[in-house]
Amino acid sequence: MKVYNTRKLNSARKLSKLNLVFGLGMMVSTVSAETLDVEKDSLKFGFIKLTDCAPIVIAKEKGFFEEEGLQVEVIAQPNWKQLLDNVITGELDGAHMLSGQPIGATIGFGTQAHIVTAYTLDLNGNAITVSNSVWEKMQANDPALDTPNPKHPITADALVPVVQEKLDLGEKLKMGMVFPVSTHNYEIRYWLAASGINPGFYTSEDQKGFTGAQVELSVTPPPQMPATLESGNISGYCVGEPWNQQAVAKGIGVPVVTNYDIWKNNPEKVFGVSKKWADENPNTHLAVVKALIRAGKWLDEVDASGTLINREEAVRILSQPNYVGADFDVIKNSMTGYFFFQKTDKRLMPEFNVFFKNHASFPWYSDGVWFLTQMRRWGQITETKSADWYHETAKEIYLPEVYLEAAALLVEEGHLDPSEVPAFDANQKWAGYKPATPASDFIDGIAYDGRDPVGYLNAHKIGNKD
Amino acid sequence: MELKYKILKGLDVSGFAVFDPVVRLAYGEEPQKQIRAIGKFIIVPVIFILVCFALTDWIAPKHKTKSGQVPDTATIRKSAKINHLIAKREGIKTVDFLREGADREKTLLEVQALIAEKVAIVDELKAELKIQEEAYKSQLDAKLKPIQSKYDALKAKYKEASNARKAQSKALATQVYNKQVEPSELVALLKESDAQTEAERAELDILKNQLDEKRSEKYEPLELARSNVDSEADALMFLKTREQLLTSRNRSVKVAEAVEKKQGIADSFETATSESKVLNAAKGLVRQELSIERLESQKYAPAATIYLYIQRSVFTVIVGFLLAVIIGIPLGILCGLNKVFMACMTPIIAIFKPVSPVVWLLIFQIIVGAFFPNPDTHPLFVAASNIPWVQTLGVNPAMVFSACTVAMCALWPSLVNTALGVCSLDPDHVNVARVLRLNFWERLTKIIIPSALPLIFAGLRISMGVGWMVLIAAEALSSSDGLGKFVWDEYQNGSSLTFANIMFACFVIGIIGFILDRVMIVLQRIVSFDDSGASV
Repeated sequence: MKVYNTRKLNSARKLSKLNLVFGLGMMVSTVSAETLDVEKDSLKFGFIKLTDCAPIVIAKEKGFFEEEGLQVEVIAQPNWKQLLDNVITGELDGAHMLSGQPIGATIGFGTQAHIVTAYTLDLNGNAITVSNSVWEKMQANDPALDTPNPKHPITADALVPVVQEKLDLGEKLKMGMVFPVSTHNYEIRYWLAASGINPGFYTSEDQKGFTGAQVELSVTPPPQMPATLESGNISGYCVGEPWNQQAVAKGIGVPVVTNYDIWKNNPEKVFGVSKKWADENPNTHLAVVKALIRAGKWLDEVDASGTLINREEAVRILSQPNYVGADFDVIKNSMTGYFFFQKTDKRLMPEFNVFFKNHASFPWYSDGVWFLTQMRRWGQITETKSADWYHETAKEIYLPEVYLEAAALLVEEGHLDPSEVPAFDANQKWAGYKPATPASDFIDGIAYDGRDPVGYLNAHKIGNKD
Repeated sequence: MELKYKILKGLDVSGFAVFDPVVRLAYGEEPQKQIRAIGKFIIVPVIFILVCFALTDWIAPKHKTKSGQVPDTATIRKSAKINHLIAKREGIKTVDFLREGADREKTLLEVQALIAEKVAIVDELKAELKIQEEAYKSQLDAKLKPIQSKYDALKAKYKEASNARKAQSKALATQVYNKQVEPSELVALLKESDAQTEAERAELDILKNQLDEKRSEKYEPLELARSNVDSEADALMFLKTREQLLTSRNRSVKVAEAVEKKQGIADSFETATSESKVLNAAKGLVRQELSIERLESQKYAPAATIYLYIQRSVFTVIVGFLLAVIIGIPLGILCGLNKVFMACMTPIIAIFKPVSPVVWLLIFQIIVGAFFPNPDTHPLFVAASNIPWVQTLGVNPAMVFSACTVAMCALWPSLVNTALGVCSLDPDHVNVARVLRLNFWERLTKIIIPSALPLIFAGLRISMGVGWMVLIAAEALSSSDGLGKFVWDEYQNGSSLTFANIMFACFVIGIIGFILDRVMIVLQRIVSFDDSGASV
């Protein structure tokens, strides 16, 4: 039944897209570009104080929303739960969301609501930071780490004795992540499990994910991470920027690994709206995605030598107190392609934040499938699911049709080059799936192919298997 | 003379009796006595406050936390200035968006001139920053070098020692294996060697910490250069945004473009070669007209500023307070009139009064979230949005449940005090009412309420105080735009100005709370019969 619905929707979308492009083509002959017929022109978008909200902020501040005839208020939210609730109640029209949030909400893990996304805000951008004392113990366990510039990627192998030591004392090492369905939760679990540390499972009764855990992972909102680490309630955390650089700046912790090293170019945040809103405001949704694509492109613009040219201006905007609000110098590091692992260890990381390059902002079905496999792996999805279920669920949430429609309009208006839009042939079976990610791109050396979720799930040592 | 007593009465009613001697002195009444009073109760306190500020300025810079330095009064003033500046800039952007005609062109020229000026300044400052960065690096290197070389030498030495120990234990192991020595000797050696390693590590750690400390030390000239660049670059960015808002992003410019487009479509009727093209042109015309209409009514969506936060907080606390009054006073009167009702209410009051506002907030969040009507159609909201001031504040669920939380916590003092006031009715008054054969309403409005009024108002004053305190916490948690959210957002920002901004908010909250309290005192004094001065 669901399959049928999606197909119907798809074809309806395609039709409307054809109409639009066609209609626009007619118009172009007489007039140049034209704003869409938006259903609603004053919008409210929510965000969490993290640098990867950049496309939304830039679209507002650089006037891309205005060019689509939209006046947008961008409002900081206190935590991910409230942000999602505000989108569901309609208080917000859309928001900067964790990739897992639309998926978790749609399949009913946590708050149940049909949330969809047509735009991926960015790739990468997270890191795992441990406290100074844990870092010293890790260095004692692995002398190779005891240099100012240790070799990367750092696995959790050196952490194993620290975890064991705690277990021997009848305690558990505690670490923080930002939300049960956040990429951070899956990344830190991935990193720990890759070294054989059990990060704990969710079950139908245990909604905290502590079952069988050797390391207890608890939820802390991103901006509070450094303070919580400093107070000693947690010994490490996985979070987005600027909160890892903040730990270095304050001298309270050491980032050991970025998620670029856990999975190269992994999807991070998405722009989520409720299905109801998307259905009621199709043109507004299109206009918003158009503006976001332009903002993403602006953020990733490079000069001939490959230097990111607009990032400094973006940082200037993001450091305003009503946006991310952290100091310019703290945000600047990661956004302009540098990352401090220690005060002495500054490294070039040009792909720490990817907003547009290599079709980064396209809502790939395979990204959705990966998050679903992780939800199953750690027991957030309690029962066995078929491969088809993964594909169908991803298609209910990710809307590449909307992205393509918006991109087509931008190509028409000359704001986008056709090569910047990924090829998508709706007649092909695996349209919207990225080619398989090679094993070398993952820290544990297990390749991921979105077309075979069950096989991927079964390839891991720690985790539920189907 | 008449005026003098009016002023004195006014000061007394508003609780500013401390300025009494100033007025009397101005009228030449017992100058010596007044001057003594002024010295004791005005000058000494003022000096005390100044001493407090001076102490703050002296102590604050000595306390450095990992979240930044404790702000002195100058930093707090700077934070106030920056917040005012942000608010001012948002106001200017809003105006710029709407400018049209010659006014727009004139402003644009001004802004462009300013930009040219600022670009030069920023470049200059950036160059200065570069120099300071270099200076910082060289002075840091100079500081680090001796410690670093000491550390390196010690490390190499200990590494050698550790290797030697390893070799020693290996040799001993061979001897143990060959039964030349007892195994206990080897164990003892290993233990000793472990202790040695531990001691060496501790020694190295001390040096390492010294290095870290040196690295974390702030270099004042660099900090200054950085903050100079930051503030000028912010100003430049603001000017560039203004330039955009006066040109491509300006409403009148966009409307003009749209009108031109519409003209183009209208012209295409003549050149249309087929019926379908005519139809398309007509459709386009209709759409274009709609979009012009929409553009014409557009307003710039500014960011929330400190002034909006203050207005919203005050509005929310007033709404919550009124809710508390509407519920609390009738219930209190009933409690005072009827012993049985009082007995019924007592357990409810006793249990709910001590509940934390945070709990109420969460409960109201769920309740309001479930029943919140569509603000565009619900008559109450439509009516509210027609009131000019409320319209600009934007009523949303977060505001409603913050107000409900305020009401819930502010309810109890009003209720209890009203009940007490009604209970302690003078028996003579009751007898008078009996003799006059007043009916229930007359008794209520002519005897009971008037004689309970002083206590009722005393309760209201407490309610207002409680409500204001609760509101800030509620806003922080619910993220309803207001001073509470301002504080919370600042905490989350974790910037170098965070601490100062929170202290600034502390003063703003305190001053507004003080004003609200004064208003309540005036009300209380106006309805009081006795002449006792209001306690501060």
